[in-house]
Amino acid sequence: MKLPTEGTLRMIATFVAAFGIGVATYIAIADSGGGSPVCLAGGSGCETVANSSYSHLAGVNIAVFGIAGYALLLAASLLRGDLARMAGFGVSLVGFGYSVYLTQLELFKIEAICQWCVASAVLMTVLFGLNAMRMVGYVGRPA
Amino acid sequence: MSGKSAREARREERLQAEGEGAAQERRKRLLQIGSAAVFLAIVVVAVLIVKSLSETSGGDTSLEDVGLVKRQLQGIPQTGLVLGDPKAKVTLFEFGDLQCPVCKGFSEEIIPAVIDSKVRSGEAKLDFRNYTIISQESIPAGAAAIAAGEQGRGWNFIELFYRNQGPEASGYVTDGFLSEIARGAGVADIARWNKDRKSAAVLKEVEATTAEAQRLGFTGTPSFAVEGPGTSGKKSLGTPGSAGLLEEAIEDAG
Repeated sequence: MKLPTEGTLRMIATFVAAFGIGVATYIAIADSGGGSPVCLAGGSGCETVANSSYSHLAGVNIAVFGIAGYALLLAASLLRGDLARMAGFGVSLVGFGYSVYLTQLELFKIEAICQWCVASAVLMTVLFGLNAMRMVGYVGRPA
Repeated sequence: MSGKSAREARREERLQAEGEGAAQERRKRLLQIGSAAVFLAIVVVAVLIVKSLSETSGGDTSLEDVGLVKRQLQGIPQTGLVLGDPKAKVTLFEFGDLQCPVCKGFSEEIIPAVIDSKVRSGEAKLDFRNYTIISQESIPAGAAAIAAGEQGRGWNFIELFYRNQGPEASGYVTDGFLSEIARGAGVADIARWNKDRKSAAVLKEVEATTAEAQRLGFTGTPSFAVEGPGTSGKKSLGTPGSAGLLEEAIEDAG
């Protein structure tokens, strides 16, 4: 299979990471105001998930960790070289793994689905795919 | 080509081949690191998922009607001990004691119909308030319900408690019983729930709603009141004997 050029992968990753920062920032702002994100399609899933104990890690809303993760992925997509390729892959792998865990919690433990969390999980999955392609196809090769 | 330049060319070829070999070697090493990271991530996520699923399973619970309560409340928003759309213009208040057998009867026979006809549709919301009159044990029970409400499971806790209620003031309301109800109700963070239910603020809330019930002139549980655009403040309903009477009161208050 022919991979897209590294430039194309980096460009798409830049847009997706920027979008991810927007989604995570919205969740964090909604939480910091004492409320919860508003589910666009209605329902109370976002409120239930935001009120659950899993929405915070060490007292910090996990959306804040999301912002940091997307910011690192944005930086990795803007930079060249093996360090950026490996960092992008590593950060997106952690983000993807954590998204799988959180989605499982929503389905089976919290028993509510937050559309914003699903949106973030989808973006992180796309970023993992892009960074995995970038690493497999281009790591160890000239930037 | 002279012997010297041929040697130089061979040397350059060798250096180039060595450089390519080193690059290949480096690429192979980095890909190995990436593969190891993927493997490690899969293991960590699998362990986390198995751990969380085993915590939730509750398959060995001896509680009655866990699934029934879950189905009854599925998809209805909960905020604290308020069940239903927070923006619903009519509020039906139930002043109850979790140890009260009449409240259990209401919970099983009358409240489900009101939930289905008026709360699920968003016409009214149902606000449970503790009115602790049976015994001292009603206070920790009510506080436990409020603490469950702080994790979005207040009504699951109340309904499950009623369905597993023991004889009045018989000492069954132990920490173990309350914890079992909380787990069955789906309270996710039991440590936080334990801390919350013993907090001064929560215990004060139980006292405050009991005092409110007395101010409203209620002498038994469950007692109901309704508030909406058609009432001036909370209108006392006493203890209506059917779902139809409660539905009528909601319609009149709307």
